Amino acid sequence: MRPFVYEQPADVSTAVAIASRFTTNDDQPTRANAQFIAGGTNLADYMKLGVADPNRLLDLNKLKEQELRHIHVTNEGGIRFGALARMGEAADHAEVKRRYPVIADSLRLAASGQIRNMASLAGNVLQRTRCEYFRETSWACNKRVPGSGCAAMEGFNRQHAILGASDACIATYHGDFAQALIALDAVVHAEGSRGARKIVFAKLHRQPGDTPHIETDLAADEIITAIEVPAIPWARRSLYLKIRDRESYAFALASAAVALDLDGETVREARIALGGVATVPWRAGAAEQSLQGKKLDEASAEATAEAAFAQAQPRRHNAFKMELGKRTLVRALLETRDMKV
Amino acid sequence: MSQPSALLTNGLSRRKFMAGTVSAAAAAPLLASRAEGATPVAAEAKLRQPLVTSLRINNQAYELSLDTRTSLLDALRDHVGLTGTKKGCDHGQCGACTVLVDGKRVLSCLSFAVMNEGKDIATVEGIASTDGKLHPMQQAFIDHDAFQCGYCTPGQILSAIGCVNEGHAESESDIREYMSGNICRCAAYPNIVAAILQAREETRGA
Amino acid sequence: MDAAAPKPKENMGEPLPRIDGRLKVTGQAHYPADLPTANIAYGALATSSIAKGKVTKLRLDDARAVPGLLDIVTYGDMDKLEKPKFGNSGATSIGPLHDRRIFHDGQIVALAVAETFEAAEEAAQLIRAEYEEEKPTATFDSPGTATIPAAGRSPLFKEDVKAGDFDAAYAAAAVKIDQRYSTPTQHHNPIELFSTTAYWQGEQLVVHEPSQNVTGWKVELARQLKIDPAKVRIVSPFIGGAFGSKGPMTPRTAIVAIAAKRLGRPVRCVTSRMQAFGTQTYRAETRHRIRIGAGKDGRITAFAHEGWEVTSRPDPYVVGGTSATGRMYDYGSVLTHVSLVQADRNTPGYMRSPPETPYVYALENAMDEMAVALGMDPIEFRRINEPKTEPIGKKPFSSRSLIQCYDQAAAAFGWAKRDPEVGAMRDGDWLVGMGCATAIYPTAVAPCAARVRLTVDGDVRLQCGSHEIGTGVRTVAGQMASERLGVSIDRISVEMGDSSLPPAPVSGGSISTASVCSAVLKACDAIRTKLYAAATAEGGPLAGSRNAEFELVDGKIMAKSGASAKVEDVLKAMQVGAIEEYAEFAPKGATPEALKKLYAGKPEFHGGDQDEDSVKYAFGAEFVEVHINRYTREIRVPRIVGAFAAGRIMNTRTARSQLMGGMIWGIGQALHEATEIDRRYARYVNRDLQDYLVPVNADIKDLQVILVPEVDHAVNPAGVKGLGELGNVGTAAAVASAVYHATGKRIRDLPIRIEQLLV
Repeated sequence: MRPFVYEQPADVSTAVAIASRFTTNDDQPTRANAQFIAGGTNLADYMKLGVADPNRLLDLNKLKEQELRHIHVTNEGGIRFGALARMGEAADHAEVKRRYPVIADSLRLAASGQIRNMASLAGNVLQRTRCEYFRETSWACNKRVPGSGCAAMEGFNRQHAILGASDACIATYHGDFAQALIALDAVVHAEGSRGARKIVFAKLHRQPGDTPHIETDLAADEIITAIEVPAIPWARRSLYLKIRDRESYAFALASAAVALDLDGETVREARIALGGVATVPWRAGAAEQSLQGKKLDEASAEATAEAAFAQAQPRRHNAFKMELGKRTLVRALLETRDMKV
Repeated sequence: MSQPSALLTNGLSRRKFMAGTVSAAAAAPLLASRAEGATPVAAEAKLRQPLVTSLRINNQAYELSLDTRTSLLDALRDHVGLTGTKKGCDHGQCGACTVLVDGKRVLSCLSFAVMNEGKDIATVEGIASTDGKLHPMQQAFIDHDAFQCGYCTPGQILSAIGCVNEGHAESESDIREYMSGNICRCAAYPNIVAAILQAREETRGA
Repeated sequence: MDAAAPKPKENMGEPLPRIDGRLKVTGQAHYPADLPTANIAYGALATSSIAKGKVTKLRLDDARAVPGLLDIVTYGDMDKLEKPKFGNSGATSIGPLHDRRIFHDGQIVALAVAETFEAAEEAAQLIRAEYEEEKPTATFDSPGTATIPAAGRSPLFKEDVKAGDFDAAYAAAAVKIDQRYSTPTQHHNPIELFSTTAYWQGEQLVVHEPSQNVTGWKVELARQLKIDPAKVRIVSPFIGGAFGSKGPMTPRTAIVAIAAKRLGRPVRCVTSRMQAFGTQTYRAETRHRIRIGAGKDGRITAFAHEGWEVTSRPDPYVVGGTSATGRMYDYGSVLTHVSLVQADRNTPGYMRSPPETPYVYALENAMDEMAVALGMDPIEFRRINEPKTEPIGKKPFSSRSLIQCYDQAAAAFGWAKRDPEVGAMRDGDWLVGMGCATAIYPTAVAPCAARVRLTVDGDVRLQCGSHEIGTGVRTVAGQMASERLGVSIDRISVEMGDSSLPPAPVSGGSISTASVCSAVLKACDAIRTKLYAAATAEGGPLAGSRNAEFELVDGKIMAKSGASAKVEDVLKAMQVGAIEEYAEFAPKGATPEALKKLYAGKPEFHGGDQDEDSVKYAFGAEFVEVHINRYTREIRVPRIVGAFAAGRIMNTRTARSQLMGGMIWGIGQALHEATEIDRRYARYVNRDLQDYLVPVNADIKDLQVILVPEVDHAVNPAGVKGLGELGNVGTAAAVASAVYHATGKRIRDLPIRIEQLLV
């Protein structure tokens, strides 16, 4: 690990100002000299590996704004998550569990108890891929070193993405919480040197395209302050299904975040997001459309799954994710339908 | 975009000379792409300045002069001499380094020590009574043979205490799920679950 | 009584808690990287990123510029020393710094030493190599492999066993199968990281390193450093999991020792989790072809087992599990052949039940297929083929309780409730499958020395250079002394894990309990003899009862007659403060050189299939229930039952724990564990615990271990069969059998994963 200067800014505007001083407009947050740290579970790991090497860390944990730590129901009936609230707090929050089971599930099934105590919610959605070829610096990786190639493309790519990939990068987005957020049309609040703004969650992450080193829409001096989920009363009928090689503490091979608004057995509205199979948090919009107004049964669930994976591009070792992803979605849809709410 | 080769070393032609990295070495290419370039020499001194950090460990105050890069785990082991906390992976994948920070279980390997300024840290050396009576969780681990080699044990015990206090030890299946961040390669898992069930009530009161 | 402490049955010792338990739960058990040394410097390794070629240049300037850097040990710095040797105590003959050639991915190219861990890591990351690279050979089917017969390449694998005329019998068989199986590369991944801490006290070298073989390492390290073995001490009081990985010494040890010598201060190098994949040993991938022929009555007439194992270019590491599979059942005729496939890889090494894990997996999966082909219950099929003598040398088994194991495990599991029809059992959306398989492990024993001292205060000090890797050997050795000397366990201190103690063999091959306990038994009996002689001597407290039988109980010598004398009084009468005995145990059949070889770190193994009078094995039967989701096909194991018979059980608690751990290892081997290789580059891809999956707590639910009573006086004086490696043999085949029962899909390549069940 390269040495770094450690600072503890006292408030958001100071943190932004320091970051602004030590970064340029062109810097990617993951590649800038000055970077923010909260839980550290992702960044400390990557600094040890030599994948990330900021020479200045701005610790956000001493920021004085208390709302950064709070989780509360908004006046409109949604939920606002302070960016520094920890995963474990959100997973155990009574209103989160009651109003958005899919969110609570996605957090509970992610990582381990210790990591959930450490990791901030904003840090969690910004976590970087766990691609083995990205993590080990002696491999070629366009995300880590632009233009160097992608060792995963023709390598061992069992865990890699079949949706949203490009010729430059097939690294999977491994998070779980983000699938719930994108399905529920969450909004991210950010503050930077150019002011405060809201980012629709679906616009936060960038597909790799030709520039896999650009991972999010954030500027290097921008801090996520909150994540807001709108009021969706029928989201009580929602769940997160995560399929993995072992029962716990493993990344998804395929996952599905599903919320259903049912009129009897007929789907008024469906929300579907897919994890473990895509390069970014993945909203399956076409699949949602195909289910609208239909009776939800095994056949319509299968048709929906077909639509969700219509654009998928398998590689050598991850081809099974086509079938697994579809079956995961079918199962998630049927289990959501059968929820007692 | 084309993919020239899977290795940074590029190309696989026989007997071709090439420059390559050794494992875990690729910081330089990242720096080169930056607007400001590599760290200016003048800043080097500040970069490496140790920070004085106050930690309260097992109810004892410590002031440590630390490299900012030092993990809480290495601070405990190498600077305070509390080697009960173990390094099993150094990357947050095994749970052997689990300690309680302000009562919550965390992975000390993924926490820079300087970020814990002013915090209360409990390690396996500090949970028994001062008269030598073991914490109920420690006793339960002995009673149920909840370890073999003993290396992951300090992390398991601290994680178990944290798990109970979080309210995640209400059922056997809860315990199994919420203790899954602590790998036991000797695989004493059923005995660990039995130990936590035994110590649960007393731990809540401890 | 709680599950962890089973009530002892016949020929079983009490479930005493581990005598080092308190140390382990309080953080006071000091593992080698914990041992404090003053003024320590930190080392970090730099390793190669290619698998084959040559290092033409190492750029060290950036590393040397790191503040706090003290030294870099690299090419040229080891030239005056001997290269490592493969075999016995040495993991590989590749001396990474003796030679600029690269033989495998992750080979050591330098050791950076600095004032702090952080500076050493930073410097190591800045070391850059230039290579002359060659196309490497990764594994089976890669271009450039060389295949050679394995027999005779290793002292542990002398021949391809055979019996009768396989070809004729197979041709004539009414029912037959011919199938291929494979097992993946696996790394031990003990949770303790590999480390070396070395310092010199004048000419004396002290090395703290987790080791399963302190005596062997002392000799091998001295050879490499060209110094007298008496000048080397290996210290390893606690070992944080080993599973074979800490049996052979790797080249790092000598490199760190040299760094400490150059600096004149202690150096500690803790290998990263990732680097361990290339710098330590591992279980190599294997392939198998099995042919079984049988009559319609289910009697096997023909058995052939061919095996292929990957090894490194320079070292012929072989496991050769056909020695065990060829003797498992009453086959009629046997044909076996094992081949080594050389590739550009680091040298493999022992990993928990090295031969049996892959070979018995293949055999038992095939046995299940055969039972299906015969339309026969798999337990009945094995019962029919239970041998009276082993089929190769027609020797008897010293004891064999396999059928008792099957019967007891089947009853506890509820096998009778299993519907044999494939896919017939369901639990909601989950397909239910049940399967079983045999476990077998050879019972070996080796020479061992121990020193025992009984003091007038009633304290016992036991010293033996064996190794507490988690098996409980410290506890059972103490328990043996407690039983023989009539002293409570809490008055016994046991010292192990130090090459300055009486030598013990490598803690591998499940020999430790038998070997150590036999030596302790001998030392204790020598103490008893002296006590009796003194007690019954003229004027002694028990004078006149010379020929009577005695026991030592609670610090007293008790004669059958009821007469007794306090041990304390006998020692006082002898005018001594203690009796100390140094005992050397050599197994039956040991050569005249056996004890000399023990001190030289090359102990002879006896038992298994090597003895003249009988073959010696421990057996078990494992039953597994799997649940497989009907949509997503993930496999869960809600229930596993194992019954095992292994001679005298010294301590039912530690025995159960070892078997339980083995069974869970078996589940990991069946469903989780595999080191993935990028075949283009012969490099390991998933080199950490994030991507190399082992079972976690949530994977293990209802697990039951049944200890089946067995008495076997032929194996060794202690009557003990090893069981540390027995538990994980057969498990993977039982899982495969259950998966077949649930789905109708026969999976022959491990690990069994979702993708194999989706199609």
